[in-house]
Amino acid sequence: MNSQTKSQFIAVASITSELSAVMVVAKEISLAAANAKAIAFRAGDKAKGFQPITDFINELAKETIELVTNINVYALLLYRLTVNEYRRTAAYNRFEQVAKLAIGARYADSMQEPISHARTMMQDCQRQFKRDVTQLLGQLEAVMHHARAARVIAANSRIEASQAGEYLQSLQAVAESVDKAAHTIHDNVQRCRIALSIYRNS
Amino acid sequence: MKMTKIYEGAHQWVMFGRDENKPDNIIDSNQYIVRTANKCLLLEPGGTELFAPMMAAVLHHAPVDQITDLFASHQDPDVISSLGLWDQALSNAKLHAPALWEGYIRNFGCESIEYVPIPDNGETIKIESVELQIIPAHYLHSPCNFHVYDPQAKILMCGSVGSAFEAANAPVFVERFDVHVEKMRAYHQRMMPSNQAKRAWIDRVRNLDIDILAPQHGRMFKGDDVKRFLDWFDSLQVGTGV
Ligand SMILES: [Fe+2]
Repeated sequence: MNSQTKSQFIAVASITSELSAVMVVAKEISLAAANAKAIAFRAGDKAKGFQPITDFINELAKETIELVTNINVYALLLYRLTVNEYRRTAAYNRFEQVAKLAIGARYADSMQEPISHARTMMQDCQRQFKRDVTQLLGQLEAVMHHARAARVIAANSRIEASQAGEYLQSLQAVAESVDKAAHTIHDNVQRCRIALSIYRNS
Repeated sequence: MKMTKIYEGAHQWVMFGRDENKPDNIIDSNQYIVRTANKCLLLEPGGTELFAPMMAAVLHHAPVDQITDLFASHQDPDVISSLGLWDQALSNAKLHAPALWEGYIRNFGCESIEYVPIPDNGETIKIESVELQIIPAHYLHSPCNFHVYDPQAKILMCGSVGSAFEAANAPVFVERFDVHVEKMRAYHQRMMPSNQAKRAWIDRVRNLDIDILAPQHGRMFKGDDVKRFLDWFDSLQVGTGV
């Protein structure tokens, strides 16, 4: 296996592992949102501004989970494509070897057909991989967008929390955990994007 | 890859083996082809590592589009792990291999090649006008295993039976049977698990008219050495190699 193929396998595998971490964190956000809603309910008027925010956080978490679920399906396809490309490339290389060893053989020329077919199949895989990576990068961008939005909401939450009297601390803790989670998601997804970006369509 | 024509009539048999570029840690194996006017059957196509030299050697005898049939006696990698590569090289080919091993052999890659399952009691396959008998040789050594008999050429391709391990420059035929026996004994005792299966095979094979016994490893037997081999194998206790 050459180093290009190896790093492609690693890139694809790393998406799955980074994304499973994103999934855990997104579920944490959703839990934090439920928690915040309960506190805001108890705080009543004092946390009036906080209530719509909790709905919004919950919505964001749900959407992130949905996105990541879709991306995981895509990542599996990308993995299969990588396996296929590896098989095609291995065959192409062997066929070239056959042609070299068969120089002088009566039917050496008949090898040209399988070689050019193998080349086409290999290039098709490479093109398809680039296309799929570009798509996946778009989907990852959407997750990043959600993470950024979550951080803005977390900042707003802190302001709202400051007006919540005795509930200040617990609401601030909610804001804090949303912010931290969003930060983690952002970082993980960013790592995925960097790992994949060398394969995108230029 | 060394090529030896072992039958020349209306069709041909060629034996391939003793590849001098083979890595040392890969087992040496014999491959065979049956060549008719427009078709070519590969017997025991071999492992992935031997694919390139093997295919290049076949191109001395047949163009790619006339390699139409493959045969695997059993599921071992030295017999058929090259399948995934043949699968991508050949656009219109069949693999004749044990029905029992289909789900296993497909792991080597079998998408464009048609897998033609051989039933337990064997069958006849036709390559143009050549009729080949697929003879059951179960438990020798694989639990589901077949040999190929060509009544016209009087050749029995006998897979693992008769195998021995030789240097890359060893002759392709047994020259002194008594010396050769020592290269076979341990292998047969260890790899062949059943005296009962051996008995059934010998009874069946003694009824065939054989000029050449062609195993998957080592040297071929011809003339009187065929009977010598059968007698020797008959008297050998197998399944005793541990
Ligand atoms: Fe075997």
